[in-house]
Amino acid sequence: MTVASQRSHYLDRPQSSGLVDVIDLILDKGLVIDVYVRVSLVGIELLTIDARIVVASVDTYLRFAEAVNRLDLAQTGNSEGLPELVQGLGEKGAKSKTKGALEGAQETVKQVFGRHGDEDEEEEEEERPRRRSRTASARRERER
Amino acid sequence: MGSGTQSACYVYGVVPADTTTPEGLTGLGDPPAPVTLLPEGGIAAVVSEIPADGPLGNAHDLRSHAHVLDTLAATGTPVLPFRFGAVLADAQAVGTDLLTPAEEKFRGALEELDGWVQFTVRGSYSEERLLRDVLAARPDIADLREATRGMPEEAERHQLIRLGEMVADAVAAARSQDSQELVERLGPHAGASRRAESTTGDEAVHTSFLVRIDERLGFEQAAEELALRWADRIRLRLLGPLAPYDFAVAAVQDGGAGDEAA
Repeated sequence: MTVASQRSHYLDRPQSSGLVDVIDLILDKGLVIDVYVRVSLVGIELLTIDARIVVASVDTYLRFAEAVNRLDLAQTGNSEGLPELVQGLGEKGAKSKTKGALEGAQETVKQVFGRHGDEDEEEEEEERPRRRSRTASARRERER
Repeated sequence: MGSGTQSACYVYGVVPADTTTPEGLTGLGDPPAPVTLLPEGGIAAVVSEIPADGPLGNAHDLRSHAHVLDTLAATGTPVLPFRFGAVLADAQAVGTDLLTPAEEKFRGALEELDGWVQFTVRGSYSEERLLRDVLAARPDIADLREATRGMPEEAERHQLIRLGEMVADAVAAARSQDSQELVERLGPHAGASRRAESTTGDEAVHTSFLVRIDERLGFEQAAEELALRWADRIRLRLLGPLAPYDFAVAAVQDGGAGDEAA
């Protein structure tokens, strides 16, 4: 997504993909190499965790209820949408704002990926290998 | 690609062998490694070298993977994107284990996707507007809301859960309706569309379209018009042109099925 195009006031045309968009495109879509090759796949540890662990339904429902109940407290509230949150993803240590009921899923993503910001600070623990983690060379530390 | 034990071969995807990679295109790693092609017959793997002993998957890795594929797609070459995380031992393994056994399928899929790119349309609701719409359209929800307002959460927890569940259901219904309208309005400018399986959070619509490169402007124009039409309810964003993440698997399977049938 590097092609410049004209922007309209109403349609967002991000010049580079937000992390949420990237995750949704490349973690569970596209060809799976295992299908075609079984021999020499290298068991590098993948840090990619399933980013769309959605909070439990009850939790979601309760936050919906809360949101609908406080509606008229914020007559002209400007609710923060996904794009802003996506930008937050890239920022190191972005503090989560648990304000909107509808933002639950993104919050989860942020919790998972917030620590892996663009600056590539050293990975911390909690990196669960998602698949193909069988590897003798699994290192927790990345060499720079 | 080096053959040292310290490096491995990261595979982004597959393109026709005569593809030219844009100059200076780099991929995963720090510093980012140059992206090269490994041709085999009529196809080529898009690869770069990575350390064989480092973990993969930080934000930079994820973005780089998508960047390489989308950059190629934007040049107009067909590309079969691989899911993140495909690593083979070395260049030889890419040829013998990956490309050669599946060359027919890959070539068929590349031909099928030649001239097409993916656009993905995502939209998020204005939360307040959405909830107001729900209350206006559903007196039963509005009543329950009145009944539960101001109640301490502890006391009426199950009532609140019920209220939230009804709102969630109403939101899901709105999503279905809006997703349908999205396809009705943009579908005529696309060859195929695919709605994301799980749409959650504040997301209103999330559908990918396979668009002919020469019909791209019409598609984008339709997206602009819909964004304007929805401006007070849904904030729409258009991603693309992208590699055909949502359509590559089907294209490869089609190719394979065709071969077998023939």
